[in-house]
Amino acid sequence: MGDCGCDKAKKDLEEYLHNELCSEEAADIREHMENCTDCSDELKVGVVLTEAVKRACEETAPEQLKAEVLLQIRSYQKH
Amino acid sequence: MASSLVLERSGIGLNNMTSAPTPKSALFEEQAMEHIDKLYAHAMRKTGNPADANDLVQETYLKAFAAFEQYQQGTNIKAWLHRILENTYINQYRKQQNQPFYSPLEELEDWQLGEAESRTATSSRSAEAEAIDHLPASAVKNALQAIPEDFRAAVYLVDVEGYSYQEVADIMDTPAGTVMSRLHRGRKLLREQLADYAHEQGIGKGK
Repeated sequence: MGDCGCDKAKKDLEEYLHNELCSEEAADIREHMENCTDCSDELKVGVVLTEAVKRACEETAPEQLKAEVLLQIRSYQKH
Repeated sequence: MASSLVLERSGIGLNNMTSAPTPKSALFEEQAMEHIDKLYAHAMRKTGNPADANDLVQETYLKAFAAFEQYQQGTNIKAWLHRILENTYINQYRKQQNQPFYSPLEELEDWQLGEAESRTATSSRSAEAEAIDHLPASAVKNALQAIPEDFRAAVYLVDVEGYSYQEVADIMDTPAGTVMSRLHRGRKLLREQLADYAHEQGIGKGK
């Protein structure tokens, strides 16, 4: 492994993962990923990390909070 | 009609309400209330506890309502709310807690933080992915809470809310390059912490 596109793929991996690359650059990296286990494994870790964060950050606002907010908004003009 | 829809969506019975929506609040409720779970999740990441998250969300909605005339209809109201939350937090909670306005880690160069990647041998990278995939949400939450607040906010807004770097730059009122740097560093630290945790717990060790 080395200069077969790995350097660029690794450098831009985060931006690739977050859809921040232009379509041409993304296509280059996508192609590289198909042929490079090293880089595609690294990408996999990144993807799994994002999924884990998403799962961990799921929250539901308490009903009480929703009611409080509505109450405050509706009585706002009185203040 | 619209307000009863909002009430239904928020799961709040009409009999619990002591006042009806005003003409001004009806539109705001219809547009803003559906995002409260996301704002609460954002507030939980900022404050780390439900009581402060409650206060922060209440204050955010109240401020947003007070400034609703300044909101440009047709633009992204959810991003606007996240921005007000960030702002409210900086102006009030951070000052109250007397926390420094910068994270010491942010002063470090990338080489000082170390490459997360280099800590993992190529052969074990799929094992690392496997381990992260099997970690309990509580472990990920703890790891998130342990990284610097600005890093955490960038990770949250990009990875969970799916905003672009530029959108997060607008929400956090900081250049997009800073968002990128915070995101990279935050994810790197997170990955290291999770790898350590998995290692301690013996998760994903199977060969």
